[in-house]
Amino acid sequence: MRDRSESDRLKKETWLQRMMRRPEIGTFAVMIIIIASLALASDGRAFNALGLKNNIAIVAQFGIIATGAAMLMIAGEFDLSIGSMIGFAGMSMAMMLKWGLPFGLGEATPFMAFAITMAMTLGFGWIIGTVVVRSGLSSFIVTLAFLFFLRGLTEVCYRWINQSTQISGLPDYKETSWFADFLGGEVFGWFYDFWFFAGGNVNRRGEQWVEGFDARFLWWLLIAFAAYYVLSRTRVGNWIFATGDSKESARANGVPVNSVKIGLFMFTAFCATMFAACQVFDTNTSDAAKGNLMELYAIAIAVVGGTLMTGGFGSIVGVAFGAVTVGLVANAVFFIPWIDGSWFRVFLGAILLAAVFANESIRKRITGGI
Amino acid sequence: MAKPPYMRVENLVKRFGPFTALGGVSLDVHAGEIHALLGDNGAGKSTLIKTLSGVHEPTEGQIYIEGAPVEFKSPRDATNAGIGTVYQDLAINPLMSVTRNFFMGREIANAFGTLRMKEMDGITRDEMLKIGIDISDPSQAVGTMSGGQRQTLAIARAIYFGAKILILDEPTSALGQKQQMEVLKTVMRVRSRGDIAIIFITHNEIHSKLVGDRYTFLALGKVIGSGTRNSLAGEDIRRLMAGGAEIADLEKELSEI
Repeated sequence: MRDRSESDRLKKETWLQRMMRRPEIGTFAVMIIIIASLALASDGRAFNALGLKNNIAIVAQFGIIATGAAMLMIAGEFDLSIGSMIGFAGMSMAMMLKWGLPFGLGEATPFMAFAITMAMTLGFGWIIGTVVVRSGLSSFIVTLAFLFFLRGLTEVCYRWINQSTQISGLPDYKETSWFADFLGGEVFGWFYDFWFFAGGNVNRRGEQWVEGFDARFLWWLLIAFAAYYVLSRTRVGNWIFATGDSKESARANGVPVNSVKIGLFMFTAFCATMFAACQVFDTNTSDAAKGNLMELYAIAIAVVGGTLMTGGFGSIVGVAFGAVTVGLVANAVFFIPWIDGSWFRVFLGAILLAAVFANESIRKRITGGI
Repeated sequence: MAKPPYMRVENLVKRFGPFTALGGVSLDVHAGEIHALLGDNGAGKSTLIKTLSGVHEPTEGQIYIEGAPVEFKSPRDATNAGIGTVYQDLAINPLMSVTRNFFMGREIANAFGTLRMKEMDGITRDEMLKIGIDISDPSQAVGTMSGGQRQTLAIARAIYFGAKILILDEPTSALGQKQQMEVLKTVMRVRSRGDIAIIFITHNEIHSKLVGDRYTFLALGKVIGSGTRNSLAGEDIRRLMAGGAEIADLEKELSEI
């Protein structure tokens, strides 16, 4: 009895047990099941050269905004304005490309359009964050206000300047601007080159079929890796966890809680803008409905990935698995002709609910049931 | 004891509008000693702690540290002056690991903000071990620790970050019997270092008798009794604890009901 201490009651675990306790394990299992069943049901078409490219494109879109949403949720806040921010950013860039810079400052280069838009959206992110931390209001209601405000503003600007709620037929800036190519072009060409070289990736004429992934794949990887690194390895990451777990405790220990939150609202705005920029420069079009409902998908994926609704806990790796899962199911209708596309939402609703219960049990396990 | 006190509080008054929360409290705190601060609910213990730790500014009176007068405008001033307060809620986050809690807001990082996790894990384990708790895994979530272990974590953290005066706000309340003893042992280990003065707030007379070197009793914002361990008899402590009422009186009143 004497030589027994309380810490002896914590059992030593093997590597496998540790892995099984990882919060991402559930999402990982679901992802593997989805990949396998999609490959089977589509006769492998979902993962042939073009299928893979198209699937990765939507996975990356989801991944970019879900990473932002998850980081913010870990700090204990929500952002419902992500979708409207995407619409606003897309409008802003396309409008400048078509009608020139504001105040008659001449033609807009893709870089200028992007930079000015990013400055505006980061500004909005800062305003949202400041309103939330200064007023103490729930971020749910503040960002809901910005959901309507930004979507309305986007539509008004379209009709006022452009007389139509869509812009199409912009020149293909990817051919003239390295910057546009950087956002809307193709990446990892070597992967498809190698695939062709190895005998696959051939079209009907016997030429190389697909040249590369969409650039947003690279952006997703960069954003997710940066978020992972910041969250798990840096001082700021510790502040984010601390802010979401208990704001008062964090503040009592000198964590700059308000700056953390404002910074993360700016980060979700950044992610929304990257989403929009990749879309605009890829398709050379934009319209007022872009990004609709995306804030809800972003939150759903963050939760499916193991992020706690109450903050303080989450995993960027889990969110990446969640983005793959949800992205593949969203796209499944294109590869399985006999399936009704609306099953996607049925599935999303079901795994979302399952994930909430799973996350709650993880939280209980970590905190010893309190 | 000829040694001057590490901290001296002289005639501290704190008024909130018409309400006098502290009506002139004086006390001395010595390094290597435990100063037990006792009093019933509403006696002004919390106000006194908050004034000493910079949350409230005193209306009148003066605090001296090592003989020099000090003024705290904010909790940060008090922390910088070496006052470490461990509140009842401990300011600990249950979902985060022991190490992440230990260094919360004061992380060790390189120039790019990257954490030196190994170094931090090592320090956490060593500091916890110094005051008697061996945590096998500093990456375990604090939520898995017992109340006593959490208390120890908060105390170890305050000491590591330079507390010379440790204010413990009811550290044994809301704990089980065995864990209360663990916390008392921890407090005694801190005392035996000799360089830290401890203010131990409690309304448990048994605990205060077990560890206290000096006693101050508060009732309705005033000191109603004080003394060293030797100068106070057990009966005094009990009487003062009850705000000056005699147990015999109470027995009589009870029997009349």
